[in-house]
Amino acid sequence: MLKFIVRRVFWTIPVLLVVIFLTFMMMRQIEGSPFRHSERAVPPAVLQNLERKFNLDKPWYLQYAYYVKGVFTLDLGPSLVLRGQDVNDIVKTHFPKSIELGLYAFLFAIFVGVPLGVAAALRHNTAVDYSAMFFSNVFHAVPSFLIATLMIYFIALKAGALPTSGWTTWQHKIMPSIALGFGPMALFARLVRGTMLETLQQDYVRTARAKGLRYRRVVGLHVLRNSLIPVITAAGPLLGYIITGSFVIELIFNIPGIGGYYVTAVSARDYSVVMGLTVLLSGLVIIANLVVDILYGLLDPRTRDARI
Amino acid sequence: MAVSPTDVREEGIAVEPGAAPSSGVPIRQTNLWKDAWRRYIRNRAAVIAGVGFLLILLYCLLAPILSPYDPTFVDYSIAKQDPSLHHLFGTDKFGRDLFERTALGGRVSILIGFGATLAILAIGVVYGAISGFVGGRLDNGLMRFLDALYGLPYLPFAIITLAIIGRTNMWTMMIALSIASWFTTARIVRGQVISLKENDYVRAAKAVGARWYRILFRHLLPNTLGVLIIAIFLELPAVILGEAFLSFIGLGISPPDPSWGAMAQEGRGTYRTHPIEIVVPSVAIASLVMCANFIADGLRDALDPRSRKN
Repeated sequence: MLKFIVRRVFWTIPVLLVVIFLTFMMMRQIEGSPFRHSERAVPPAVLQNLERKFNLDKPWYLQYAYYVKGVFTLDLGPSLVLRGQDVNDIVKTHFPKSIELGLYAFLFAIFVGVPLGVAAALRHNTAVDYSAMFFSNVFHAVPSFLIATLMIYFIALKAGALPTSGWTTWQHKIMPSIALGFGPMALFARLVRGTMLETLQQDYVRTARAKGLRYRRVVGLHVLRNSLIPVITAAGPLLGYIITGSFVIELIFNIPGIGGYYVTAVSARDYSVVMGLTVLLSGLVIIANLVVDILYGLLDPRTRDARI
Repeated sequence: MAVSPTDVREEGIAVEPGAAPSSGVPIRQTNLWKDAWRRYIRNRAAVIAGVGFLLILLYCLLAPILSPYDPTFVDYSIAKQDPSLHHLFGTDKFGRDLFERTALGGRVSILIGFGATLAILAIGVVYGAISGFVGGRLDNGLMRFLDALYGLPYLPFAIITLAIIGRTNMWTMMIALSIASWFTTARIVRGQVISLKENDYVRAAKAVGARWYRILFRHLLPNTLGVLIIAIFLELPAVILGEAFLSFIGLGISPPDPSWGAMAQEGRGTYRTHPIEIVVPSVAIASLVMCANFIADGLRDALDPRSRKN
């Protein structure tokens, strides 16, 4: 097991390097330097100084090396546009809000989606099953901006129950979290239902029933535990799903998080910020995948050799 | 219990032209595709979704031709109308007919959707086929790389790609949406190639001296067609939603050719007084995505009976 973990961790480093490299090379391809932008024209001497300051006059492989060193020492470099601000400062101000939003959305997805999936599986082919699946299929397909807008329209504007935008009091946090959590919730419900139906047909479930264990106990003890394992594998892609969703939700609810800021940084051509945030978000997903794989290996010994 | 395609094939070989079975029941000649079709049309949800999908395509194709309105003509006297017999979906803040504009938006969204899906399949097939066919260390490396990238958020990479190209039109949108979305397809193709490689007919081909490219192009890739058709309907919804998200945050194709996402973004400005303007394109997206999801489920059950849940 230790060998598995060490190898898996070891594989993450080159992948991280490649992702940083790809992002780095992509960012270099973007036309125009932030200092050569027409509305911010600067004299050549100043330009030279600026480029030296930000290492832009060095060859690309040195720039890449500096950047990688920065990433591994948790220093994402200065912002090219905001004077006196580091990318780290921007991360510090915006990231906690995004994490909070993502966490609430995730909790909503778990606490609504898992029971929904369990209910659908236990009442297989009944009205409960069909309505739960209809519900989750609809919310899997509806774009989150529609859910968010309708919530604002009916709950905030018509009923006046909750504030329309912002991220200060707990009342502000309800609607964005639910709007972002709807898609993952539908995903969880479908996934749990599927794995649970499969587990219910396993031989060990029949054995447990045959030796006289009560149905509730079998479900609680054997079925539920084993059906939740595959749900863990969904955590990596789910994180990506939530990150993507947060771009839209933060915009609609005017939440000063990473997703909203990313778009601002792109239009301001603040490359170091765009790059820093991209590396940060990708790194998060890569690390989540690592954790998921290790957890999965711990929970299900069969996967250790197959996956690495 | 349905007959799996392999059984059917063996059955077909066993039946000699003149030898009628003793029971008197004629044996139905069939092949993989006929069999898959038979299984697909037995799945009610998938059939409804398929019909719905075709209806949406027809609507997008025909509505602008049949509509009496000019999709770009601005008339403030009829702005922000609710749905009526004259304007089935109402009008937008410029008084343009939403029934017609939604169909036009659908053309853009669906075209981008299919274009990006094809690009995803192309990249996925090349990557997956190389990985599965060559095998060994290369396969291991390529797959570990994919494992780690799995679930990477495509939106930042799509945004950077659009920034690199510097222009946003239908073609650049397709590139942007496919650049970080092909991981799953590559994995599926690789798995299929690996399991096909172990088949007796591939061994037989090798034994009679077929070159590697003949085995790859003649025996392996044509047999991945089934999973690729499923993959189309798996990727299409993701891509259409992705385009909608990009357009909604203001990075989509600019007017006068709005996609559904761009229409929703336009509607966001007036949702307080006239929510229908954001609801109509969003519901259009949701309907298409839902149909595609059900079609994908139906196709998977029809073309890949091994994955079917009992």
